[in-house]
Amino acid sequence: MSSSTLPGMEVRELGTRQGLRLIELNIGAQHPASGHMRMIVYLDGDVIVDVDPDIGYVHRTMEKLAETREYVRVISTIERMTIIDACNVTLPYVEAVEKLLGIEPPPRAKYLRTILCEINRISSHLYGLGLGGIFLNHSTMYMWAFGDREVFLHLANMLTGARLTHTYAIMGGVRRDLPQGFRDAFEKAKRYMTRRLKEYDKIFFNNPVVRGRLENIGVLPRRDAILLGASGPNLRASGVEYDARMTKYAAYEELDFKPVVGEAGDALERIWVRLREIEYSLELIDRALKQLPEGLFFNEKYVKMAPPAVKHWIEKGRVRLPGTYIRLKTKPGEIITRAEMGHGEITYHLVSDGGIKPYRLRIVTPSARNLILFKELPKGHLLMDFPAIYGSLDYFPPEADR
Amino acid sequence: MVLDIDLVGTISTYLGLPPELVRAVLAPLIYPGLGVFTVIVLFLIWAERKIAAKVQLRVGPYYVSKRLHGALQMLADGIRVAFQEVIIPLEAEKPAYILAPILSFAALTVAFAVVPGGPGIYGFSSSMSLLIVYAAISVSPILIILMGWSSSNKFSYIGAGRETLVTIAGEVTLLASLLSVAMMYKSLDILEIVEIQRQTDIIGLVANPLAALLFFIAALLLTDRIPFDLVLGEQEIVQGPFTEYTGVLYALTLALDYGKLYVLMLLFTSLFLGGWAPFDSVILGVVAVLAKTILLLLLAVFLRSVYARMRIDQVASVFWGRLFPLALLSFIISALVAPLYG
Repeated sequence: MSSSTLPGMEVRELGTRQGLRLIELNIGAQHPASGHMRMIVYLDGDVIVDVDPDIGYVHRTMEKLAETREYVRVISTIERMTIIDACNVTLPYVEAVEKLLGIEPPPRAKYLRTILCEINRISSHLYGLGLGGIFLNHSTMYMWAFGDREVFLHLANMLTGARLTHTYAIMGGVRRDLPQGFRDAFEKAKRYMTRRLKEYDKIFFNNPVVRGRLENIGVLPRRDAILLGASGPNLRASGVEYDARMTKYAAYEELDFKPVVGEAGDALERIWVRLREIEYSLELIDRALKQLPEGLFFNEKYVKMAPPAVKHWIEKGRVRLPGTYIRLKTKPGEIITRAEMGHGEITYHLVSDGGIKPYRLRIVTPSARNLILFKELPKGHLLMDFPAIYGSLDYFPPEADR
Repeated sequence: MVLDIDLVGTISTYLGLPPELVRAVLAPLIYPGLGVFTVIVLFLIWAERKIAAKVQLRVGPYYVSKRLHGALQMLADGIRVAFQEVIIPLEAEKPAYILAPILSFAALTVAFAVVPGGPGIYGFSSSMSLLIVYAAISVSPILIILMGWSSSNKFSYIGAGRETLVTIAGEVTLLASLLSVAMMYKSLDILEIVEIQRQTDIIGLVANPLAALLFFIAALLLTDRIPFDLVLGEQEIVQGPFTEYTGVLYALTLALDYGKLYVLMLLFTSLFLGGWAPFDSVILGVVAVLAKTILLLLLAVFLRSVYARMRIDQVASVFWGRLFPLALLSFIISALVAPLYG
């Protein structure tokens, strides 16, 4: 180092950008609060001028992998995109393939899918809330949300036999019937969670310090939310009444679904929408369990396909499918399906050439759509507001990178 | 029952040294200084983690020394850190980078020499000892800013900037609180302040609760406790000015905050809780001082399980807009209650 340069801090100045002298700050890829991504934050003093999200660190070629696998095997691949929300992320794909196969799942299967989707949504929201807490250094919210998420992982485990990667919804229905004792376990979980939500309000949502950090931070006006294509709770917090569940897939039509809509569009409102959606999901599961129709949980056509030796499994509430099931052939065609995940709306565009594998599977995930908010929302806020905004967006890098 | 022991006298006759010198060495090194501080800080971090774990439905440190509920975890961590390689970044300004944490911790030990740890337990007495403690505490921000500068890291640099803001906001409140205390007792000598409280049987917390509150809040800010841990700010700036530090130097920076907290809470005990108030003997007095200090320390670290981090402009506006006017009010209270202490 020559003696003319100042020792110590060497700020890389970008020259002038919008007439300001800026510091370029790399938050990530190795940073306590960056996630699997890098954000290049341009600072003028302590004020954020621009954010450049640099994603792709966890890109796993999901779309390409889907072209190399049979229709059923694709499910267990793509659910790894959003491992915390595995049923919601695979359901529209399954429905797309079902439509191309020309089969319809029995009503009981639709209800069971809905139940797992809502359980997944609750655990996904709790995950987001926990991270939203630790982004403000509120470790109690972090631990509480992750601890209570365990309750819903347990419920999912009861229903499907797996905590995270359920592969529950498959073409023609679901893998397992409702187990004995599930209703009681859910009743207990609902009572517990309702009580806990009140405690969340006390320690986190109504905490003056947390309110000070979140109120009027990262305001996304209704118009911008629509223009930028925000999705999920982030969209609804801005007062847009849109939820992909309103398109009435699975059993949402019979459940009389109504979205939770906020108004202010700031970080606090986004957290509020998530908290209320947890409440509402509990209610939806309750309704679904009450209205759950009797009957088969798997399409009759495939049940008949099964060899006699494994038929007794169906009576036990499980499917054992024949080897031919993996080589299902669809009609050639294209189809677009969508569903509401915990993070927002996911869209699949499935192209089939009549083979046993998808010809092309295009996936648009909610986190990929919400990514633009990282660029737009923090502008003009302080550096300290950046984690608050990140936490309120409930962004999940593996999902955005696919 | 007389439990008084004259340790200083015994050692000074044994070594043939003047008792003042023995006293001035023993206090900063053993009690209330580094020896006891090390034990307390190890206990405090363990207690902090255990309390947070209790609130957060977890177990907390457990595997190191299961029978003691993981109490030796911090010792294990300390040993690990002590043997860790000290990595100095190439771009760092080497002398400042290495010396700043050492000097700031050394400055802190000056405070240990003045703060009393019990009846007759102090390094040296001075009619200005309150100001000496304050001076020793307020040296460290300068060195922390130096750490941030010399690390040659943007996060460290921003952390140093935050330290500047925090120091100015916090020390004004702290100093105002200290001065209103001095006004109330009409003394700047900590030993004399404790004696005044013991003679009148009115502790400072009762006489001027506002000054005590301001002192406590300012202490939280100056020692980076949640909700005021702006300087560390993990989610934005990793570890603030200490981002690049490793090994022993990192341990020193960590101990610096706890050291400041310990000194300030000892001072709180002396100024507002009557020091060793109900007792006269050395041992009971020491126990009383330590018990009060540890309670205060636990209260300070408990806040971590309740609050998030406040935003930088909110901290500034709270301290300048709310607490500083209150500090002026505490001067008025001091003026009103001063006749209580004669």
